[in-house]
Order: sequence, then C-alpha cells, then structure tokens
Amino acid sequence: MNKELLTEILATFKKTQGYIEKDNRLFIETKKEIVPALLKYFKDKSFDRLAMVSCVDRINENKLEIIYILTSFCLDNPLNIILKIKISRNEPELDTVIPIFENAEPYEREIHELFGVDFIGHPRLTPLFLEREYEIPPFRKDFDMRKYSEELFDSVPFVGDEK
Amino acid sequence: MDRNKISKWLKGPAKMGHKYSLSAIYFCTGCGIIEVPPVITARWDAERFGVIPVASPRQANLFLITGYVSLKTLKAIIRTYEQMPDPKYVVGFGSCPINGGMYWDSYNTIKHLDKYIPVDGWIAGCMPRPEAIFIGVTHLWTLIDKDMAKGYVKYREKYESYRKNQEQILGKLEWKPLYPIRRRK
Ligand code: SF4
Repeated sequence: MNKELLTEILATFKKTQGYIEKDNRLFIETKKEIVPALLKYFKDKSFDRLAMVSCVDRINENKLEIIYILTSFCLDNPLNIILKIKISRNEPELDTVIPIFENAEPYEREIHELFGVDFIGHPRLTPLFLEREYEIPPFRKDFDMRKYSEELFDSVPFVGDEK
Repeated sequence: MDRNKISKWLKGPAKMGHKYSLSAIYFCTGCGIIEVPPVITARWDAERFGVIPVASPRQANLFLITGYVSLKTLKAIIRTYEQMPDPKYVVGFGSCPINGGMYWDSYNTIKHLDKYIPVDGWIAGCMPRPEAIFIGVTHLWTLIDKDMAKGYVKYREKYESYRKNQEQILGKLEWKPLYPIRRRK
C-alpha cells in the first residue's frame, strides 16, 4: 500500500524524489513551491496530523533543510511521511503552511527564532523562547556558542567580588 | 519533642520554628523537578523533615532551584524570590545552577545562579537523588542554627550589585526595585 502511495505521488508531482525506509517511513524530497500542494494532497489522503516542522542547518551545502512530518490519526497505517525541502541559507524564505495545518504556527515561530527563516504570511513572528537578540540565529552552525556564552555570562561578576 | 533541644527552643523560638517548618515553593525550572514529586509524596515523605510544598511564593520560605536556569526562567525566579517573605532560603539543586553543568557553553542558560540571587546551599549531582535533598535539608538546619543561612540579608545589603547583574543579563527590568537603590554621584 505504501509503495502504491509512493508511485502515485511521484507520478502526480514533478521534481519529487521519494523512497521508503524501515517500512514505516516515507521520505520525500521536493522543491519549496510544491510543499503546499503536497501537504494538501496528504491531508486529503487522511494524513491529517502535522507532527512537527523541523530544520537542519546544512552548512556545507549552504542550505537550510526544512522537514515536515505527517502521520495519520484515522488510518490504520503507522506510516510517517517525512517531507524535506532545501532552501537557500542566505535568503531563507518560505511560505507558511498555516492555512493547511494550523498547528504549524509555533513550529514556524520557533524555526524563525532559532534559524532565522522567514515564513511569508505568518501572522506573528515574534520571539517565542529567547529573551535576548542574537546577531546570528543561535541554532545555525556558524554561531559560536562557547565564545558567546563566555563573553556574555562570564562578564557578570560575582556579588562581593567586584571592585 | 527532643528534651535536649528545649534550651534551643527557649533561646530562639522563631529560629527553631523556621527550621522545622520549611515551606518549599513548588517551582519547576529544569529536569531536577522530576525528583521532587517522590520527595514530597508517600515514598520519601518530606513532611517528616517539616518540608511541605506550597503553591504561592507569599507562603514559602524555601526556594529549591531544580535545574538549569534559562534567561526566561531567571526572570521568573527573581520575581518569585522577591515576593517571598523574610527569612527565605535558596537551595540550588543539581550542577546546572552551580556552574552550568552540562549546559556550560549554552547560549541561553545562565551559569552561576549566585550571581543573580543569593544561594544558601547547593546540592551537587546531575540529578541528585531524593536522599540528597534530605541531606541538604539537614545541612540547611545546621546553617540556620548557626545563623549562616543569611542569603536574604545579603540580598538586602548588596541589592544594588544584584540588581546590576540582573539588568546586565536581562536588560531593563520592568518591575520596581525591591529595596531602594542609592544613587552614587
Ligand atoms: S544538573 Fe543535570 S538533571 Fe539537573 S538540570 Fe542540569 S542537566 Fe538536568
């Protein structure tokens, strides 16, 4: 059944590659323009739960990889659909998927905050977890955590020690 | 009651009262909080030691910082601490509030809690066992007995420095200073 689903997807959508791993993981690599159509397609196929949206910094390729994971509540099929797209690292822009899956909102906010990806059409890209402003978003690989934390936290003196 | 302690009770009844009725504010900061439910419930029963969890900082006098402190939590910790009535005791629980622990190079976790609020005692470990909490409590008794758990006095005396440190890391704080700050010319 999963194989049939995969062949159907590959036939319907162009510029898409896919493979199945460990029987219950269906990987699909695609372009960012196709994502809304694909998500809608899966929603109609009863994969109605967006389990998460995640991001990986592929610094060697100068790309950010966005990953959508879909599962199903109503099908008796333990299949995870893992949708991967790569976007440019210098101008990371992407359409929001909130119109399709509303629960993408906090995930997109988080990715915006930690990786600096701009989601076009997102209603409120305000800070979610962080209190401070960071020049480079802190989850990018070129953010030097050790240097940053040494500069910031070690510069605070112990009370009683300061002159 | 233990007869040997009668003289102590007569000398400093308030102190003995504080010592044996520690109300711990139920405030969860990091992973260490997972050890607190078994401590306060039937398995280890912290009430044997007079430790009881309370819901509001206004009723509490023991503040257990149970784990790593991120910047956002630090804000909440300072506000909670300032609302607690004197005398109040702070115990850092786990290695994260002591020196950062495994988050020593994180971008968002403060490393030394005692730079921002005074801490009376530490329980080391990642994470400490419930028994360690009780050892910590008995050590805290000794400190209270010897008048060494004076973090809240230090906070009042050095409030300026504490507030300065807090503002250095959090930016402008939106609440008023707890104690008056003398302006130096
Ligand atoms: S000391 Fe260990 S258990 Fe406690 S908060 Fe840190 S990492 Fe978690």
